[in-house]
Amino acid sequence: MIDRFNQLSGANKGYIVLTALVFLSWLIFKILTPDNFGSPSNLVAYFQASLITTVGAIGFYFVMDMGMFDFSIGANIILSAIVGCQLATNFDLGYAGLILGSIATGALVGLCNGFFYVKLRIPSMIVTAGLALIYESIANYMAGGVEQTLPSSLRAFGQMPGNIILAIVTFIIAYVVLNYTKFGTYTYAIGSDEFVAKNMGINVDKFKVLAFILSGAFFGAMAVLTISYGSSMVAVTGMASMSRNFIPTMGCFFGLAFMKYGIPLQAIILGEFIVNIIFFGFISLGAPTAIQDVITGFALLIIITLTTKVTKGEIVK
Amino acid sequence: MSEDIRLQVSHISKTFGITKALKDVSFNINKGEVHALIGENGSGKSTLTNMLTGIYPMESGTFTLDGVQIHPKNQVDANNLGVSIIVQELGTLSGLTVAENIFLGHEDRFMKFGFRNTHAMNAEADRLLQRYGFNNIKASNMVDDYNFEDRKLVEIVKATYFNPKIVVIDETTTALSQEGREVLYKQMEAIRAAGNTVIFISHDLPEVIAKSQTITILRDGVYIDTIKSADVTEDQLKKLMVGREVTGDYYRSDYGEKISEEVVLSVRHVTVPGIIEDVSFDLHKGEILGFGGLSESGMHEVGKAIFGASYDREGEVKLQDGTAINDIPTAIKHSVAYTSKDRDNESVVINQSIRDNVALPSLDRLTYGSSRFLSWPRIKEFAQKFAHEMSVKMVNTDQFVSELSGGNKQKVVLARWIGRGSDIVVLDSPTRGIDIKVKQDIYQLMNRMRQEGKSIIMISEELMELIGMCDRIIIMKDGKISGEAPRSRELDENSLISMMV
Repeated sequence: MIDRFNQLSGANKGYIVLTALVFLSWLIFKILTPDNFGSPSNLVAYFQASLITTVGAIGFYFVMDMGMFDFSIGANIILSAIVGCQLATNFDLGYAGLILGSIATGALVGLCNGFFYVKLRIPSMIVTAGLALIYESIANYMAGGVEQTLPSSLRAFGQMPGNIILAIVTFIIAYVVLNYTKFGTYTYAIGSDEFVAKNMGINVDKFKVLAFILSGAFFGAMAVLTISYGSSMVAVTGMASMSRNFIPTMGCFFGLAFMKYGIPLQAIILGEFIVNIIFFGFISLGAPTAIQDVITGFALLIIITLTTKVTKGEIVK
Repeated sequence: MSEDIRLQVSHISKTFGITKALKDVSFNINKGEVHALIGENGSGKSTLTNMLTGIYPMESGTFTLDGVQIHPKNQVDANNLGVSIIVQELGTLSGLTVAENIFLGHEDRFMKFGFRNTHAMNAEADRLLQRYGFNNIKASNMVDDYNFEDRKLVEIVKATYFNPKIVVIDETTTALSQEGREVLYKQMEAIRAAGNTVIFISHDLPEVIAKSQTITILRDGVYIDTIKSADVTEDQLKKLMVGREVTGDYYRSDYGEKISEEVVLSVRHVTVPGIIEDVSFDLHKGEILGFGGLSESGMHEVGKAIFGASYDREGEVKLQDGTAINDIPTAIKHSVAYTSKDRDNESVVINQSIRDNVALPSLDRLTYGSSRFLSWPRIKEFAQKFAHEMSVKMVNTDQFVSELSGGNKQKVVLARWIGRGSDIVVLDSPTRGIDIKVKQDIYQLMNRMRQEGKSIIMISEELMELIGMCDRIIIMKDGKISGEAPRSRELDENSLISMMV
């Protein structure tokens, strides 16, 4: 049995593991709370909800597979959503304002992240954490401290089929970029060994900035989905946007873990689905938020431990 | 200029910090030959070829390829000029497919309107793999799906498919099995037959003589000679590489001294899964015990196993007083010291001062009285004392270790353990990449330590220094002990090599 599994191609192995995880996470909650969890129509709803974060996670993958990190995800989403919402409503630009405004803002935030990271030569984690405070403040200033609401006439991306269409478009873009452009190959090359990549004539700094821009644009798209689904956005400050970082990051870890099987994007999509099954499972259970967070935290650690193999003695930071 | 000259190397120099890696090196390499480049570790072979292939920037001097001066900016640039390299370590990148690895930096031929025709690229890579006869490798698979040897084969394709004028093969054969070597030799022959040139770096002298037409010898960054392979013997090559007759004050000069009966360390049935198997031996007081073998023979792991640094070790390492050593703190506490082969990563703390590096394992003794508070005056004095005793070339002990040459870093490591007063010292490749002068210092220091009754285990890939320094030499092969030779004037490398391979 195990021998057979080992003989499978990398991608098939990855799919088997992921499908098993989806089934397992469903099964656990189905057993615990059989009545109000996990019917086919429930699962479709969970999947739709997961699409929102999947879009961000897929963008983030371009940054993470180069070995960099981004703490400004939440701040980016808030700022992009507020800009998009204001363009759509106050400037009467409708859907064009919402979509283009959010995505352009996201990309601009990405450019800022990338620019300062490359120029200042300090770890991306610190640069983006510092900038997140600034993005939050800008968003708060633009919103005037007031909750920004998207009118119901502009919420087509909050439900089927709008959300699915937007998500699929972003997946296709990501897939094409990863597999059919130099940029895709170079992100892996830089993530695998920056020194070797440099020796191959790759302009490492340029591609790092590009990765941040692309990732930012995806967060912009995620912002569209987020505000359309939730109908409004509050411009929080004082790093409170950080709580929005967690779920896209978790999906991205799935992508990294399954990179070696050659199916990172597929793994992110299924990974976010798993994360959402767990979340909705807790909600069905009626578990208090604190307990949910504790268990989700452990679930993350367990999944990452099981899916990433660290060589003995390798230093992990 | 003769018609046959492919590459003129003229007046090439290169410095790393205060280390002069290459000093005014000039020689010619011809078309249609396998030109071997040999020399001891640190002689500058890889530095020279890394500059030729754009991995290191050039400093002074010129490379003239077919009459035109070249200054490759990076590897891809070098490829475009007709020069490629197969490196010593793993040269393929994880996370990329086989085809992406082969064409990394050369994707433009598959690009149209900014999009890459991945299908055409995979098909082309598959065609190349077929042509080389590597039918088991598929272009669209992740390179991670393949083992080290297959990944080396991918590198061979990557470095040679475009018929470069010069292919550098940098100590690749040591990593390959016999089968893999044969594949590589076949490629080398094909390149040569097509009128192109192979620059072949290898430590395996019989291989060098058998597979090359011409040999250039470097020593300590200086050009020594270029000779025809047909006219030279292994012994002559060795002499050219080492450069001088070995004299009394270089290695030890004593012979026939009796080794003490007192056993200070006994190793019994030590196994580290997949690396060493059932290794047993005794170390005596005042003895220098050598370990030799091929780089992958497991001898480097023996040092780690004794120091308690191996993973999943089985068997027993015991000191004279019966203390079992199973972890590093116990080893250090009981006066065992270890210096790793990988000096920069495993021995010195690069971004710290000499003072901190020397004092690190002795901090518990450098406190105010019996308190737990560190006494900086004592630490400073301690570091100064032992750094000076080791004659570390430095401004002062505040200087960062990263600024020191390889030899001086090694002296800092030795100062650390001498300062700690260790009685059992395990030295893994202590003179790796170090120039002759510092080597001599280290040999003399080892001799003094021995006379003071300290016991030393010396692990080395250089057989000459084992023969010159050790009371006994244990040879390892495939993770097991394959033979042992006592110190004698008659002992030569050939008798050791016969136990190694």
